[in-house]
Amino acid sequence: MKPEHDAGVSRRNFLKWIGAGGLISTLGGLFVGSLRFLVPNVLYEPPTLFKVGKPTDFPLGQTTFLEKKRLFIINAEDGFYAISSICTHLGCNIRKAADRFECPCHGSKFSAVGDVVSGPAPRPLQWYRMKLSRTGDLMVDKGDLVDHRFRLKVVA
Amino acid sequence: MKKASDFLKGCWYSVFRTGWPQSAKEQSLVMTSSLFLHLHPVKVKKRTLAFRLTLGLGMISFFLFVCLVVTGILLMLYYTPYPAAAYRSMKDLEFAVSFGWILRNMHRWAAHGMVLIVILHLCRVFYTGSYKKPREFNWAVGVFLLILTLGLSFTGYLLPWDQLAYWAITVGSTIASYVPVVGDKIRYLLVGGNVIGEGTLLRFYVLHCFILPFLMVLLISVHFWRIRKDGGLASPEESPLPENVLEGDSGQFPPSPKTYGLMALSEGGRHRKAQWGDPENEVFSWPHLLYRELLLFMIVSAGLMLISILFQAPLEEMANPTRTPNPAKAPWYFLGLQELVHYSALLGGVLIPAALVLFLVALPYLDRNPQGAGVWFHPARRQGLVLFTVCLALLTVLTLIGTFFRGPNWALVWPW
Repeated sequence: MKPEHDAGVSRRNFLKWIGAGGLISTLGGLFVGSLRFLVPNVLYEPPTLFKVGKPTDFPLGQTTFLEKKRLFIINAEDGFYAISSICTHLGCNIRKAADRFECPCHGSKFSAVGDVVSGPAPRPLQWYRMKLSRTGDLMVDKGDLVDHRFRLKVVA
Repeated sequence: MKKASDFLKGCWYSVFRTGWPQSAKEQSLVMTSSLFLHLHPVKVKKRTLAFRLTLGLGMISFFLFVCLVVTGILLMLYYTPYPAAAYRSMKDLEFAVSFGWILRNMHRWAAHGMVLIVILHLCRVFYTGSYKKPREFNWAVGVFLLILTLGLSFTGYLLPWDQLAYWAITVGSTIASYVPVVGDKIRYLLVGGNVIGEGTLLRFYVLHCFILPFLMVLLISVHFWRIRKDGGLASPEESPLPENVLEGDSGQFPPSPKTYGLMALSEGGRHRKAQWGDPENEVFSWPHLLYRELLLFMIVSAGLMLISILFQAPLEEMANPTRTPNPAKAPWYFLGLQELVHYSALLGGVLIPAALVLFLVALPYLDRNPQGAGVWFHPARRQGLVLFTVCLALLTVLTLIGTFFRGPNWALVWPW
């Protein structure tokens, strides 16, 4: 004759499931906690918003490369704009070559406004928002991406 | 005098349970009474000692790993994992620390050598069909060991903090960001922020010196242990394992390939045929196997030292995030992938490597042909051999193109 509790979950199985659940949730919690621990909350990186100089430091019609900031400042007829010098393929520094930009790592080529002309780069170069500080300095915000229509007009 | 001699003998016996083996019994005892020697079986098949079967590649890669651990620990005593200080450590090792240059060279060349030898070992195991049943799992462990070897080499690449290091890691970590959906998060975790800096160096240092070596030791142990449990090296004479091993009768011991697996015999279970452990074809590991290993270790360490004296490990100028070298190249073993990345980062950096790893892990489970285990280029495996060789040749050609035929702006150039 079978015991009655065989029809449902036995006490032994119930405790087994409780034990397994406890073990899995403990290990899972530890894993998730450890993974979250790996994501830094504070970064000691250079600020994304910084001054690049007075508007008069950038001659009209010229492209100026700010090596340490890894960007180009272009003073065009219709205003200022800033293009990143970081190749969108694998992060190498691109160089100005005549009327376009070239990447030394894998040969991607970009137009004067940063559109991909040839090579493996998947996206155009990034454009950053430019601002004018209270002291009249040009500022670039690398944390704020803008499209190709962006221009900063500076009234003398 | 006799008391002193007895005392010394007692001390010796407290550590070593046997003296220098003189008899067959002592040759057995010496292997089973030592933790380290017990990694070996008491006896090995004569044919597995033949150099032409294995070319010693597995042991050479293990010995290189030992050299890497020893030199790595010594280098750590002078290394500071902080950007400018890290580069200064390299200069100190090269010019100020006694024998620092040779230790750094040995570490560098052993790392490159280990990558090469582990790849060759994988090829040897494939071409001799040694991954076939019952060694499927050990093959998979071997594939993970290859990945760990590449990971160790890649993380170590950043530590000198020179231009070569900085830009190889820039390229490598950006490739990680091409993984669909979570790519950017993976890069952020790996780099420890948005830009490669002190956080990245510390992460790579911890990965290189603690996490990956720990995993490596763990998997090497499993790899060695499985070689023994799977009956030593693959041999065409061994009888196949009985079917449905896991579904044996209740209370029955699983079949054992060990020559002294009496547990299986005593239970009358399904076990391999008796001729499989034929004593006529076996010799004691002491001294036949151990002397060969010792000789190989001496050759590896002497060769490594010679190379390290003759060839200086590269060290370029300090890392400069604003100046990309032209061309910026990854380490040689990633140049095949970099060549593919030149066409498409997603394809070359993510999809093809992932497919390759999956293919390699699944290989012994996909290849159902039981013939050809333990024989070089067995004719019954023609299709598999051709497919593998084509893949290998493609990867080699891509690596050669990336190494010798790519110049500034990744344009095709002649190497001369």
